[in-house]
Amino acid sequence: MSEKGFEPKIVGFLCYWCSYTAADLAGISRLKYPPNIRIIRVMCSSRVDPVFIIKALLDGADGVLVAGCKPGDCHYQKGNYYARRKVALTKKILESLGLEPERVMLSWVPASEAPKFAEVVKEFTERIRKLGPNPMKERVFV
Amino acid sequence: MGTKAEPRVGVYICHCGINIAYKVDVEAVRDYAATLPHVVVARDYKFMCSNVGQEMIIEDIKKFNLNRVVVASCSPRMHEKTFRKACEKGGINPYLFQMASIREQVSWVHEDEKEATEKAKELVRAAVFRVIYHEPLERRFVDINPNVLVIGGGIAGMQAALEIADAGKTVYLVEREPSIGGHMAKFDKTFPTLDCAACIMTPKMVAVGQHENIKLFTNSVVESVEGFIGNFKVKICKKARFVDEDKCTGCGECAKVCPVSVPNEFEYGMNERKAIYRPFPQAVPNVFTISKLGESPCRNACPAGLNAHGYVKLIGEGKFEEAFKLIMERVVLPASLGRACPAFCEKECTRGEAGGPVHIRMLKRFAADWYYENKGTQPPFEVAEKKDKKVAVVGAGPAGLSCAFYLAKEGYQVTVFEREAEPGGMVRYAIPEYRVPKDVLAKDIEVIKNMGVEIKTGVCVGRDVTIDDIFKQGYDAVFLGIGAWKDRRLNVPGEDLEGVYTSIDFLKRVNTGERPDLGRKVAVIGGGNSAIDAARVAKRLGADVTIYYRRTRKEMPAFPEEVEAALEEGVKIEFLTTPVAFKGNGRVSKMELIRMELGEPDESGRRRPVPIEGSNYEVDVDSVILAIGQVPDSEVFAKFGIDLNRNGTVRVDPETLMTSREGVFAGGDAVTGPSTIVEAIGWGRRAAYYIAKYLEGANLKEVKPYDADRLPVVDKSQVFKRERFEVVERSKIKELPVEERIKGFAEVEQPFTEEEAVKEGSRCMDCAICCECKQCELACEAQAIRHDQRDEIIEVDVGSIIVATGFKTFDPTPLYRYGYRRFPEVYTSIEFERLNNAAGPTEGKIVMKNGKVPESVAIIHCVGSRDENYHRYCSRVCCMYSMKYAHLIREKTGAEVYEFYIDIRAPGKMYEEFYNRVQEEGTHFIRGKVAEVTDIAETPEEEGKLIVVVEDTLAGKVKRYPVDMVILSVALEPADGAEELARILGISQDQDGWFIELHPKLAPVSTASDGIFLAGCCQGPKDIPDTVAQASGAAAEALSLIMRGKVEIEAATSHIDPEVCVGCQQCREVCAYSAIDYDAGRGVCVVNEALCKGCGLCAATCPNKAVTLKHFKNEQILHELEGILL
Repeated sequence: MSEKGFEPKIVGFLCYWCSYTAADLAGISRLKYPPNIRIIRVMCSSRVDPVFIIKALLDGADGVLVAGCKPGDCHYQKGNYYARRKVALTKKILESLGLEPERVMLSWVPASEAPKFAEVVKEFTERIRKLGPNPMKERVFV
Repeated sequence: MGTKAEPRVGVYICHCGINIAYKVDVEAVRDYAATLPHVVVARDYKFMCSNVGQEMIIEDIKKFNLNRVVVASCSPRMHEKTFRKACEKGGINPYLFQMASIREQVSWVHEDEKEATEKAKELVRAAVFRVIYHEPLERRFVDINPNVLVIGGGIAGMQAALEIADAGKTVYLVEREPSIGGHMAKFDKTFPTLDCAACIMTPKMVAVGQHENIKLFTNSVVESVEGFIGNFKVKICKKARFVDEDKCTGCGECAKVCPVSVPNEFEYGMNERKAIYRPFPQAVPNVFTISKLGESPCRNACPAGLNAHGYVKLIGEGKFEEAFKLIMERVVLPASLGRACPAFCEKECTRGEAGGPVHIRMLKRFAADWYYENKGTQPPFEVAEKKDKKVAVVGAGPAGLSCAFYLAKEGYQVTVFEREAEPGGMVRYAIPEYRVPKDVLAKDIEVIKNMGVEIKTGVCVGRDVTIDDIFKQGYDAVFLGIGAWKDRRLNVPGEDLEGVYTSIDFLKRVNTGERPDLGRKVAVIGGGNSAIDAARVAKRLGADVTIYYRRTRKEMPAFPEEVEAALEEGVKIEFLTTPVAFKGNGRVSKMELIRMELGEPDESGRRRPVPIEGSNYEVDVDSVILAIGQVPDSEVFAKFGIDLNRNGTVRVDPETLMTSREGVFAGGDAVTGPSTIVEAIGWGRRAAYYIAKYLEGANLKEVKPYDADRLPVVDKSQVFKRERFEVVERSKIKELPVEERIKGFAEVEQPFTEEEAVKEGSRCMDCAICCECKQCELACEAQAIRHDQRDEIIEVDVGSIIVATGFKTFDPTPLYRYGYRRFPEVYTSIEFERLNNAAGPTEGKIVMKNGKVPESVAIIHCVGSRDENYHRYCSRVCCMYSMKYAHLIREKTGAEVYEFYIDIRAPGKMYEEFYNRVQEEGTHFIRGKVAEVTDIAETPEEEGKLIVVVEDTLAGKVKRYPVDMVILSVALEPADGAEELARILGISQDQDGWFIELHPKLAPVSTASDGIFLAGCCQGPKDIPDTVAQASGAAAEALSLIMRGKVEIEAATSHIDPEVCVGCQQCREVCAYSAIDYDAGRGVCVVNEALCKGCGLCAATCPNKAVTLKHFKNEQILHELEGILL
């Protein structure tokens, strides 16, 4: 991929009930989005431990997307609200580590909104592309 | 196979035909997989999900002694279960398997083959890294409850319910309308066979209604669903229909007498129905329902809870006697109230925003006057059987008389003790004759006496007899309704001079026939109602009257209309001034006043008047009337063990009105200080309720609170949303001209005639719909009417749920160009369906609103469907029903029919043949999307017609078709409330709002939530045959589940390591399912696996990482991450 310049590597934690389903639907609908994202399935966005996000960034991911059901629609009643808090706090931690909090994004993607999923991936990939490579990569490995 | 053994992984890459292979170099991925650690074998195959593919895995497990499997293919949503099963067959735990989605997440969404292949390799690598850390999980099974919930009672719901019930299983069928039947019950004929919908439908409805295995809940909604497949707990809210379903015989006598008419929803507003109704004659259950939205605002505003809506409506119907009876159920002294009530009701009347409030007070006066004139003064109630308990009422004012009347109505023996010479209290002695004539009051009191109430006048309790005496005389309870008769004093010099009156003293004198010599100039001090009354009376005695009030008009407590009347009659008012001394030689001749200004608000919320230093001035006066408020004359009662407040009011329990002395109750002005007649009457009736309970020996703290059954008030804004109301002006009340008025004490307001009363009554907008006039109760021989019925929650346990909530039709009003609601002859298809139905508003005659048969009809297809602005989808049934209409119109009327279509879609059995038939019958088919429907004629032939303007795309020309009637073939949309139901059930909707099936081809009736199935149009538009087929399919799925008896549920639950847990209980706090208990003995938290849903929130919350979510453990997810980022 490197011959095209910087191709970010993005990890997506998707809740199984809404966002993962939307990703499936994007496939079924043959929507196109950048291939930079690698999806990890979780049952609920609230399962995303801040450790996952920080570990991903320390290990060289350029961006982390967390996606869950839209507010009020959580399959587990209110897990997405907890996810929102966890992500907000994680961003604070990242700042203190000297990492741009913009490398983490939380999005609500309902099961039926495949186009939104594709849109979110496109947008986020563009954002990370502009931010450039994760500085942690060099810092840790140099 | 334990986890300790060295991992041996088999990796399988699926081509999915070419779905994956056309973008992903599957061989390259396979070769790469083979190089990954622990991978023993890597293969690719065309269809891994096929038998051959699965066998390949099973054989490899045995051959290579595999203990882990990875399949890279479609989404786990599709085939995770398939491959887990294969693993199990091969002899390894199904959870030692991982899937990589390289179709939905790679080949279908990425274009560059190289990139796609790279990504597939990484996903496979992540899966291999993860699977190494997988652990075997114990599979969990639960029993399936054999009961089934079906939501929606249209043809889909009925079909599904019958299939299951016939198989011997119990079905709870919930329908939100009062009858089952759904849309199909509205159709006349069905395409393409043209058989009568009712003929094929009604037998099914009856079968559902009578089936011993179907428990039918109509007029009901699903409130909540908890649990999971096999074990759902459902709360059904059975809305009050105010009719006992078991007793109602469906005879319809109630609807004949109901005075309230509203637009009929079943006929789409093309005619009206009564508030008590049955949607259509073949309804199942064949019972009536009352639309009652709550309490109308007028009724809610009345301090006595008088049902204004009810009697206004009855008067509007000319039922004056019934109106009077309804009034007397809540208040006494109706004729007096009809004259002197401030009418809190009218201030809330919704009609106020459409022509002025209904003259509710005047209608009450009319009903009472009419009754006294035509029926006499016998109370309109049967006297209950006499009881042996006796009650003494002290004071014959509104509160006392009300209490006495309602106790006597219950059969108690009541004696009223009144210290004055005549009963009536303030109504007699304080309210001037020109407002309430004494003979009117006399009749009001006559009714109370005729109820059996004994009134002893000239007996002053406290002076002549004590409370103890009363109890000694054998009375079992006492009600104190002594009012507030003691005038307050200003405490300024000269108050005792001759010519200085207090208002109550003054009014009482005039009301008993005295005509005090006031002289020329009269000053009235105060701004309340008694000040105004005193001023208007003094005016009638010929004086020049000025009211002096220490604040401004805005703060005056008197009713504005009274102030207005006083001003009209020539009374002057001076604001911001107060007397500081009265001067004179024996008799008052001068009054010294001081100017005031308004300061900070006081405890009453009004701005406190502050004297302006040095602003004193004098005026000449001949008399002064002090009307600065009254307090109860209650001191003496303190001696009888009755606690008083500092202002002299009697202290009572605010709910039961019992005083500090057992058996003694109080109400009215004695408790509140000066208020209104209607408030006092309300207190009296409330006291009567609790006194009766007290005499029954009940503990008053435990009895049902007074008026506990009253419904909440209706939201006014909703009334205007419900239907369109024309502005109807309020009737003018005839009043005596001012010059006549001030000559004497003749009544100012002139009564309504019968016609005027009926006309005014019919201005009522029926805010709550049902007015509770209770006419239905009288008409119902079966005694099935239950106005006190309330919504009921019923809990049922079911194992599976079938959703069959159907659709609604698109409202074409926003498509302005098609003229719907602008031109009366533009109909929607469902309206036309009713117009054409033999049971519909025209009894099946296809006629225009003017009664004429149309000579030409246009049918416009795809209204709201296949339209980017509304719905992109095709609604599937419109072409066919449009052609059905064409056939029926030609058959019934011979009119020319024009079908304006984009494409004709007739893809069912005998559908194309029907299309041909309709063409042969002479219907015109014009291909083109209609631009507009207009009434602007361009030629004489177009005059008086609706002109359909269209580009005929086959002829390539814009054409105009003048027609008499236009039918819009509107789209189908998800039913109202689909979104809420989706939330309750945890199922998903697609972008158009239809519920999503698990798989569009292979699981069309299942949902992603196990145990919940779909039937009919709630999943997408479809015709009746498809709906019925899908309903049977859903029933088969539910039955299959029941026959299995057990089902496997999520094995991936949370686990808490007691060695690590410190018992902080944060996991407990966040768990939405209360699945975590705290073991106080060991000081640790414990997961209840039966309740755990496996979301993993607790695992992410635990600060010590004592909680792990099986199959989604930190190490598993982190290794998957490592596989991605390597």
